Amino acid sequence: MVIAVAIDEATDEVRVLADGITYPVLMDPDHLLTELYAISNVPAVVWIDENGRIARPNASEFGTDMFSEFTGRTREGHFDQIRAWVREGVVPNDADSEIADLDDDELDARLHFRLAAHLRRAGDEAGAARHFDAAARLAPLDFTVVRAAMPLRGESPFGEEFFKLLEEYQEAGSPFHGITPAP
Amino acid sequence: MTTITVLGDEVATAAGEWVDGRPLVEPDGLSAAIGWTLKPEGLCRDDMCVPVRDRSAIEVGDKIDLAVAADTLDRPTLLDPETSAVVLGQPNATRQAALRDRQAPDFTFADLDGADRSLSDYAGKKRLLVAFSSW
Repeated sequence: MVIAVAIDEATDEVRVLADGITYPVLMDPDHLLTELYAISNVPAVVWIDENGRIARPNASEFGTDMFSEFTGRTREGHFDQIRAWVREGVVPNDADSEIADLDDDELDARLHFRLAAHLRRAGDEAGAARHFDAAARLAPLDFTVVRAAMPLRGESPFGEEFFKLLEEYQEAGSPFHGITPAP
Repeated sequence: MTTITVLGDEVATAAGEWVDGRPLVEPDGLSAAIGWTLKPEGLCRDDMCVPVRDRSAIEVGDKIDLAVAADTLDRPTLLDPETSAVVLGQPNATRQAALRDRQAPDFTFADLDGADRSLSDYAGKKRLLVAFSSW
């Protein structure tokens, strides 16, 4: 079964994305899942077996082929691997991949983000801006920190700031806490 | 005395004061804020107690240093006296058990209808956990 967790506080926007979906869709406005599983970008897919063991850790997998040209990976390739796991218990070779832990700055950035989001909800825009800035300084290429803050700061998630982030991210070799699957 | 906001697993408040940048809370406030109580055997919740290495660091007069308590519980901490807030991260050991030992951390979040759901509600099944967003 699928359990979807939105690393997001925009319930209305998520509701639109979840329209017609029958599996659970949960809201994680404080990004706690990113602390528990060392997630630094979305989508991140984790396979968890019947015993609560991680059968394949964080991987960048998309539910659509909208980004295939960019990722070199198709939705059907991932679905085939899931079918093999569900039916035969077979996992792909990359399932043994080690995922690096979050470092102290990445952890600290998450705490600043959480405080910023809290202050914003409480109406303290200046306090929120201060802590969104601190978070971005600590983890400048972490999408769950920097890009997630964009709509909360009144910036477009597809605006100038985003393309600047994307460029810096790609120049740095697209650092991601997870498997970037081979096509 | 002031109010200290504690962003832990939930948002809570505790009566206390900031002394030299340290968040000192009333013993009652500690339990209300983080669900753990300071006892002679250590920091305790239900039947579990975590030993406290330096008693004099955690107990300051009649108050408890919340940052030392968080450190004892292996939780990353952000102190912000300016907004009188303490942010507690998830325990480091939980994430490390996921990365090293492949133990999937449990979590509880509200679904779109506001009902709490946990990963462990679906134990015994193969689960595909998908983190996504609208941003």
